[in-house]
Amino acid sequence: MNCETKVVNDELHRTIKVASRSGRARPPRTAMATKSSLLKVILLGDGGVGKSSLMNRYVTNKFDTHLFHTIGVEFLNKDLEVDGHLVTMQIWDTAGQERFRSLRTPFYRGSDCCLLTFSVDDSQSFHNLGNWKKEFIYYADVKEPESFPFVVLGNKLDVTERQVSAEDALQWCRENGDYPYYETSAKDATNVAAAFEEAVRRVLAMDERAEHLIPTDTVNLHRKPRSSATCC
Amino acid sequence: MRENASQDSPTLMAETAAPDARWCSYFFLYDGSKVKEEGDPTRVGICYFYPRETPLEQQELLCGQLAGVCRCVSELSQSPVRLLRLRRRKFAICMRGDFLWALGCAVEIPDVSIYGFLEQLIGLFCFYNGPVRQSYQLRSQEELALQWGLYLSHLQGGATELHQIFSSLRTIDATRIDPLLLLKAALILQACQRCPLVLAGCILYRGRVVSTQMPPDLTAKVLVHETETHSQNLRHLSNGVTSPDSPPLSACVTSIPVYLTSSELHALRCPPVDWACRTHCLPQQANQTNKSRLLSRTLSDTPTPDPEGPNLDTTNRTPDSFQTMPCSSRSSLSDDVYFSPSPSANTVDPPCVLQSPSSADRPGSRVQGLANGTLLSGLQEGSGGQEQGEGISGVTYECGTGRKEEGENGGEYELQEGGHNGEGHDSGSLEEQGVCGEIGEAVNGSKAGPHGAEEQRSEAQPEKSEHEQPSSIDRKGGGGGEGEDRKEGQEAGREEDGGGGGAPGGQSEESQRGETIQEGRSETPTFMSALGTPEHPLVAMALYQHRVRGLVLALLVEPSFQSDAAAMEEVYHSSLASLNGLEAHLGNTAAGTAGPQGQYTFAHYDCVQNTLTTNLSGGPGGSFVRATSLLHSHFSQAVTLQEVIVRSAGTAVYGTRSIAQETYFMQQGATARNSGVPNPQDSAFSLPSKARHRLLKHGVNLL
Repeated sequence: MNCETKVVNDELHRTIKVASRSGRARPPRTAMATKSSLLKVILLGDGGVGKSSLMNRYVTNKFDTHLFHTIGVEFLNKDLEVDGHLVTMQIWDTAGQERFRSLRTPFYRGSDCCLLTFSVDDSQSFHNLGNWKKEFIYYADVKEPESFPFVVLGNKLDVTERQVSAEDALQWCRENGDYPYYETSAKDATNVAAAFEEAVRRVLAMDERAEHLIPTDTVNLHRKPRSSATCC
Repeated sequence: MRENASQDSPTLMAETAAPDARWCSYFFLYDGSKVKEEGDPTRVGICYFYPRETPLEQQELLCGQLAGVCRCVSELSQSPVRLLRLRRRKFAICMRGDFLWALGCAVEIPDVSIYGFLEQLIGLFCFYNGPVRQSYQLRSQEELALQWGLYLSHLQGGATELHQIFSSLRTIDATRIDPLLLLKAALILQACQRCPLVLAGCILYRGRVVSTQMPPDLTAKVLVHETETHSQNLRHLSNGVTSPDSPPLSACVTSIPVYLTSSELHALRCPPVDWACRTHCLPQQANQTNKSRLLSRTLSDTPTPDPEGPNLDTTNRTPDSFQTMPCSSRSSLSDDVYFSPSPSANTVDPPCVLQSPSSADRPGSRVQGLANGTLLSGLQEGSGGQEQGEGISGVTYECGTGRKEEGENGGEYELQEGGHNGEGHDSGSLEEQGVCGEIGEAVNGSKAGPHGAEEQRSEAQPEKSEHEQPSSIDRKGGGGGEGEDRKEGQEAGREEDGGGGGAPGGQSEESQRGETIQEGRSETPTFMSALGTPEHPLVAMALYQHRVRGLVLALLVEPSFQSDAAAMEEVYHSSLASLNGLEAHLGNTAAGTAGPQGQYTFAHYDCVQNTLTTNLSGGPGGSFVRATSLLHSHFSQAVTLQEVIVRSAGTAVYGTRSIAQETYFMQQGATARNSGVPNPQDSAFSLPSKARHRLLKHGVNLL
C-alpha cells in the first residue's frame, strides 16, 4: 500500500533524525576507509586559553601571536585518516568570553566531540572546565552526558610558570568521566595533532558502540507509526 | 524628437503611477571619431546600443540626432551637455572627447538619479574593462556589449525603487543581526590588510554589503562581480585569471583584473581610517584636490554644499562630492578618467613623460601630496608604492597632452591656465573642459585663499564645521583646502617629519600654496603634471574574491598579489575560519520578514556611506516613492533647501536633509483635515515632530 510505504519512509527518516539529534548515534560511518564522513568537534574554554591557536596550528600548521578575540564561532575542515578511517574533521572554534555566549551556543548542537580547553598557566580557566562542560551539555542537548566523548586539553605547555599541575588535571578528568587529557602547546605544536586524533578515535569508538544500539532504537520507533497507520 | 514618435512609450500617467521597472529605456555609446566625413555612416560610430533589438535605422537616428544636438549645444554654450529633456523622456549625457554616452529614461526619474546611473554605468565598465578606448581596441564590440548588458541589468535589477533613486548600496539589514557580527566582519577585513598587497576589502552576503573598507562607489562596483559570480556560477572568470592551482585555494577563490582611477587608488592607499570617513575623499575630488584624511576626521568635516545653484549633473551617489564642486569641472573630471585612451594609443600621441624625482620620499610636502594623489600613470601596475602604504617612488607619469583633438591646447598651456587662473576654466572651450576643469578643481582645492581660517576651525573643531561653513565660497574653497590640510596632517603623522608643509592648517591656504611652490621648486613638474594628467588615470589592480557559500570576501589587491602564492595563501588561511564562522552566523540568522508596515513610512539616506534605511519593503511604494523621488531631486537642485512638505489631497510627505543625510517621512492614514487650504490644524504640519519621534527608534536622529 502506498500509505504503508510512506509510513516506513517516515520511520526511516525519523530514525535518522533522532539518531543525529542525540549527537552520537548517527547513521553509522562506513567502517571501511572508502567514504569520508564529517565529524564535528568543538573547542570550548575560557577566553585566551588558545582555542583558535590550537585549531590554526592543527589545520594550517601556523601560529599567530596577534589573533583577535574570536567573535562567535569559526570553523575549519581537516581531512585525516585515523586507524584506517577517512574522516573530515570540522573543528569549531568558539569565543571564550562571556559576552559572546549568545553567539556561540547555537552552534553546540550536533557536535560529535567536545574539547574542553584550559591554559596550564591560568588556574581559573582550569576551574571553569566544569562550567564549560555544563554549558555544552545544556546547549548541545546531549542526551547521555555520561557517555559523550569529551577530551581535555591543557594548552600553553610552553609557558614556564604553570598554575595547574598535570596531576590536578588528570584527577579532574578521572572524576568527571575518565576523559583523556592532553597537554599541548599550539605555539610549539606539541601534542596538538595527537589531541585532535584522539578526539576522532573517541567519536569513532562511540559510533561503533552506537551501531549496536541502532536496532533497538529502530524497533522503538517503528512501534508508534504502525499503530497510527491504521487510520487509512 | 522622432524617436519618441516611433517608440510607443507609456503614457505619462501610466509612468507616473507605476514608474518603469527598467530605468533605462535607451542607452548607447557613440564614438564620434568614427564618423568624421560626410559619407561615414552613423552606424560605424555606434559602439553599443540598448535595447539590443532596436532596428539599426532607429539606432542611427537616435545616435545621430542626439550626438548632433549635444555637439551643437555644447559648442554654443561652451559647456558639456548633461541632460537632454524631451517630451516623455530625458537623456543623461556624458561627453568625453569623441565618446558620447546617453542614457534615456522616463522624465519622472530625478535628474540627479539618472545622471548618477549613467556615471555608475560608465564607472563599472571602466572598473572591469579598463579605459574605454583601449577596450574597444583590444576586444570585440560583441564581447563588450555583453559587459554593458551585464552592468545595465545589474544596476536595474534587484534593488528597490528607492535604492535606485538614491543609487544607494544594498546593505545587510543591521537591525536583524547581532552587531558583533558586523564587528567580526570588520576584523576579518582588518586582518586581511596585514598583507601589504591588500589595499582594502569588503564583505558581502547574498548581494548585500556586510562591511566595507572602500568608498561606497567602489563597493558598488565590486558588488557587480560578486553578484555575477554568484548568479552565473563563475562564468565571468573567463575574463580573468583564475587563482593558482594550489589545492586549498580552490574554486571558491577567484582573482580578476580591475582598473581603479588614480584617485580611488589614492583613497585606498591612505592609512586605514574609519572607512566612512574615507568616503569624504571622493574619487573625483581626490583626483584634483588630493583630499586626504586626518585620522581624526569626522563626519562634519564634510564640506557643506555649494549653493551655486542647481547641480543637475551631480551624482546622487556621492552627494557630498557634488556639493563641493562646480558641475562642469566635476563631470569632466570623472569623464576624463574613463575616457583615457589605451597605452597603445600613447604611441600615437606621445605624451610628455616626466620623471618625478623621488617625490614620494619627501615628507610633508604639499607637492608630494598631489603627486601621490594623481600621478599614478595609466597602467603602471604595482607602482611599488605599496610598501610605503601610499608613497609612489620614482613613478613615471605622463602629462596630459596627447589628445589630437585638443591640439591647440597643449599640455603646458592648460597647466598654466590651471595653475594661475583656476577659475577661468569654466569659460574654456568645450575641448578644454576636460583638462581645464580638472585643473580648475585642483586649483580650487589648493588655493582657497580667504578660507584658511575656516578650515582651521574645521580642523580644530570638526564637529562644528558643518554649521560654520554656511557660505558657498567657503564650501568650495574649504572642501579642497581641507583636503590639502589633511593631506599634510596625514603626511606629518605618517612620517613624523612634517616640516613646513606639515603644519596643519596653521596658515592660510594662500601662503601655504606659495610656500609649496617655492619649497618644491624641483617638483614643479610633478605638481603640474599632477594637475594635468587626465590621460592615464586608470591603474590596473586586481580583485580577489573568496566565496564561502553566500558570503564573499572581496579584496582590492595589488596586481602582484595574483602571482604571489605565499601572500595569497596567507590571506586565504587567515580569513577562512572566520569567513566560515561568519557565514554560519549569518545563515543562522532568520531571514525574517519585514514586520507589518507601521503607521508611517520612512526612508533615510546616508549620503556619506551611501546607504538607505527604510521600512518600505519592496513592492511599489506608490505616492511615497514618488514624493521621495521628487524631493530628492529638489534637494539636489536647491542645496539650501532643508525641509519640505509635499502633499496631495490624501497624504503628505515630509522631507528633511542635512549635509550627511536625507530623510523622508509619511504618516499613513491622513486625516480629513487636509483640505488643501492652509490650516493650522492641518496634520501635515505635525509631520516634522512626528518624524523626529518615530524615527528615533530606527536610529535616525532628526533633532
